[in-house]
Amino acid sequence: MARPVLEVERLCKSFGGVAAVDRVSLALEPGRIYGLIGPNGSGKTTLFNCITGIERRDVGSTRFNGVRIDGLKPYEIARQGIGRTFQLIRVFPELTALENLLVVTRGSLAGAEARALELLRFVKLDGLKHEYAGNLSYGQQKLVEFVRVLMRDPSLILLDEPAAGVNRTLLNDLLEAVRRLRDDGKTVLLVEHDMKVVMGLCETVFVLDHGEKIAEGPPGVIQADERVIEAYFGR
Amino acid sequence: MTPRGTFRLGLVVLVAALAVYPAVGTGYGLRAVLQIFMWIALAASWNLISGLTGYVSFGHVAFFGAGAYTGAILITRAGWSWPTAALAGGLAACVVALVIGYPCLRLKGPYFAIAMLGLNEVLRALVSYFEGLTGGGNGISLPTLEATVPVYYAMGLAAAAVTLLTYLVITSRFGLRLMTIREDEVAAEAMGIDTARHKLYAFLLSAAGPGIVGALAARDQGYIEPISVFPLATTITMIVMVLFGGKGTVWGPVLGAVVLFVSQELVWARFPYLHQLLFGSIIVAVVLLMPRGVLGVLQQRYHLPRTI
Repeated sequence: MARPVLEVERLCKSFGGVAAVDRVSLALEPGRIYGLIGPNGSGKTTLFNCITGIERRDVGSTRFNGVRIDGLKPYEIARQGIGRTFQLIRVFPELTALENLLVVTRGSLAGAEARALELLRFVKLDGLKHEYAGNLSYGQQKLVEFVRVLMRDPSLILLDEPAAGVNRTLLNDLLEAVRRLRDDGKTVLLVEHDMKVVMGLCETVFVLDHGEKIAEGPPGVIQADERVIEAYFGR
Repeated sequence: MTPRGTFRLGLVVLVAALAVYPAVGTGYGLRAVLQIFMWIALAASWNLISGLTGYVSFGHVAFFGAGAYTGAILITRAGWSWPTAALAGGLAACVVALVIGYPCLRLKGPYFAIAMLGLNEVLRALVSYFEGLTGGGNGISLPTLEATVPVYYAMGLAAAAVTLLTYLVITSRFGLRLMTIREDEVAAEAMGIDTARHKLYAFLLSAAGPGIVGALAARDQGYIEPISVFPLATTITMIVMVLFGGKGTVWGPVLGAVVLFVSQELVWARFPYLHQLLFGSIIVAVVLLMPRGVLGVLQQRYHLPRTI
């Protein structure tokens, strides 16, 4: 087993006595695509927020390439090489599509611009580069958010419901892009409700229910797991 | 000629005209333009923090007052010349911004606005209390000096400098990062932007102009007291000028300062009581009808850059 990129160990986070994430442990190996599923309110987004430092975990640890990152500020974690998207789109609406990508870069502006244009071309938005992100359609904003994550060239990418609200053609491009990232050696962890997407893309799936990890394994095995079926459909 | 070329030529002509104006202008005219310069510097400074990062400062006149007192004390007690005292006023305002910005910029939305309002009251109370240094409620009288024309140029320079600074910030990646704080601070952090540091830098930049201008105003008026340099009305006027002209743009604060000052002056002369009513009506109308301000509306409608 290769050294994990991300190790989450017994992570806990409660909100006013309700355990949103309850002793969750997981390890992600480099160059793989992982899925994180579970019913609504099972703690998927909270887990993302704890990993990226937006929420402070109560107990437990997170290691990125062997170094502890829990307790760091969100921007410090991002600079270590973890990028994420949000369940509800969070582009910068009054910045143009191009500016949305440029703003997250450091170093040479010319180099950044070349890369930004390349990424916009990749998602077929180069014709709209000077349009305010807030004026783009929902699907287009989602793509801007996705390529914005890639601007910093992170080694771990957390995607929160990348398929929701994206049309089929666009979705296939997006999934292809995720596979290509994996082939480049990047690790992807995605929250998704569309089971077809999860089953077709992910090599390992984690299942959360009431904040606890109730199952982990290849998609085929997870689909047949008694506890998972119970979590989704009840007994 | 391209629109940009025409604009630049117009700007050069305007600056040249303002530079020779003291040779031909009347006393009243000179004082009016001097005041407009001051308002441009104040409004443009407020725009740097509040227009760009969305952190609305309700106490920006505190920096004006800090600069005025620093300048007046250095001139009267230490015998500094007024230009160096003005620069020291800007520096003092930055020091206040550094001390207050570190804790206050963690506050969000209305809490930051109220904290800034409080800062202004605290500073006013402090200068009233330390009578030995500030003269307390009696204020400070500066030595008589006829310096309207040099102060006119100094104010003009301050207005130009803050406007140029705004242009440089808005066209840079630093400026874009400030705007991400306004747009979505959490997303900005998650994208690796150190929002706390950026807010503090913007706050320091926004304090320097009012500090310098405060010291110049103290020299110009020859007398300062706590209620004359820390009035809430000055902060509100800065805010209204920026909102009217267009927040987050280069020329919005300039347009707002000119239009509002001139209209206020015209109405003031005729209806001393009605001008407050008019001013209040403008605030309500701007907020209701065009929250982006004049240039903000044009920018959105005709797809103009923020450098308008």
